[in-house]
Amino acid sequence: MEGFIIALFVCLVLALISKYLSVPAIPFYILAGIVLGQAGLGIVESDKVSTFFSDMGLLFLLFFMGLEMKLDRIIANPSKVLTGGLIGLTVDMGIGFIAAYLLGFTLMEAFVVGAAFYITSTAIVITSLIENRKLMSREAETIIWVTVFEDLVLIIILAVLSASDQNLLLFFVKVALALAFIYAISLYGKEFLISILERNDEIPILFTFAAVLTTASVAIYLEIPETLMVIALGAAFAITDPDAFEQHARPFRDVFMVMFFVFFGVTIDFVSGIDWFVVAIICTLAILSKLISGMIIGLVIHGSTLSGLEIWANMISRGEFSIALAVLYGSPIIATTIAIMVIVTSIVGAFTAKYSTWMRRGIISHSRKKALMYRPHGGK
Amino acid sequence: MSAMALRSLNLPGIGTKYEIETDKGDTIAVFFTKTGTIQMYTLQKDSQTPSAAVMTPVEARRLGNILTGAIIEADQESVEIAFSALADLRITIHTYFIPKSITGRTIEDLQIRAKTGATIIAVCRHDKNIINPPPTFAFETGDAALVIGESDQIKKFEREIMVE
Repeated sequence: MEGFIIALFVCLVLALISKYLSVPAIPFYILAGIVLGQAGLGIVESDKVSTFFSDMGLLFLLFFMGLEMKLDRIIANPSKVLTGGLIGLTVDMGIGFIAAYLLGFTLMEAFVVGAAFYITSTAIVITSLIENRKLMSREAETIIWVTVFEDLVLIIILAVLSASDQNLLLFFVKVALALAFIYAISLYGKEFLISILERNDEIPILFTFAAVLTTASVAIYLEIPETLMVIALGAAFAITDPDAFEQHARPFRDVFMVMFFVFFGVTIDFVSGIDWFVVAIICTLAILSKLISGMIIGLVIHGSTLSGLEIWANMISRGEFSIALAVLYGSPIIATTIAIMVIVTSIVGAFTAKYSTWMRRGIISHSRKKALMYRPHGGK
Repeated sequence: MSAMALRSLNLPGIGTKYEIETDKGDTIAVFFTKTGTIQMYTLQKDSQTPSAAVMTPVEARRLGNILTGAIIEADQESVEIAFSALADLRITIHTYFIPKSITGRTIEDLQIRAKTGATIIAVCRHDKNIINPPPTFAFETGDAALVIGESDQIKKFEREIMVE
């Protein structure tokens, strides 16, 4: 328990520092976990309490993702979401999966690594777009729709990974029934849910917490993935009053997510045969593959490589979803590889996102100079 | 010429975006972000890099008041609302701090409505609001009065009542 308090306090300090420097906090939480945990000083150990908090972190992360998922909006702009999304999926998932397979992971492991390699951190991307004041750029909108598409793909990946070792027919019947039940409650109980959310006492926050936990535990009892069910709960509640649910779930998410990152770091263990060469290649490719996909998206959607560069600069960071995949489906070696990839890409990504305008200006002025120099009768 | 094009868009995870293209070809975009701040971008015609300002809701409201063309002074605020459906009726609501010169006098006695056409709809005294004060209501120093009327009536109120 003391370890838990130490971890909490370290995170508080790190959060303050990262806010002050306006860089994403996620890599620092993981690094803190690694330093404090079994790979480092060994002060903090994961126990029942910390596991509970980490699990909550994951559940609330996914519940939030469900709340934010506006299916109607995706259906309204299918071309916007699909073009960029499909390019990203093919290029990044493809490169990640093939690289992992060639580097000696099994097919199943390569799929997990590829998925973690593919999926960008929505949290980091959105925050950095807001903080770096880039919302108006035409690339920003493209980037946002790509992250929306990635969220959808993540759901499919979760479904595929959790269905792979089950009786498929029974699995799908159970999932379909549970989904129908959740959706029916929010559709027919809409008025009731809204009346609960409008109260000024502790009921709304208690209700939100209970709804997420109940859904998760019922899912575990039915042997269907609680991750999917919690996302579905969020998506179903989004038809009532998503802003109110976000407001009530935010404190839980914010606290538990930090614990989720730290204790993910704590459980990382470098001694169990980690190949640094493989890790270095994965990290380098993680940055390069987003350059390729960014360039293609930039050329296809905006007809400009500079737009591609901007998309790349803002989409390098991997984060919460990659770690979620590592926690749920990764072996210790995969978890370590993904941890390092998240740390490297999110730190590199923080810099590229901050200085991309500057980078862009440099390229433009450079090419102008070149154009001037080659003008046959220009200058002296 | 085409009228100004206003586009609003809900961006998942970010918030709501409003974009206006002016007749001269400049673009102004406003984002109400989920973090609670408001970002305003202006992009000059033919330029690539917009400039941005981040505002709190209070600051944004102030800016909005300035843009509607209402009278603004350092510590007094006013809001102008235009009802385009009612033949462009423009109603201004303005706050004034009661000066010493009219302390102790009543609304009836000052003949506010007869002289200016404006109406006092509320008075804030010691952090308490008195809504729709009666004609017999007497002002005290430090009161903040909320006056409603057309812009001309408000100007008249300012000239004739506030300096008396």
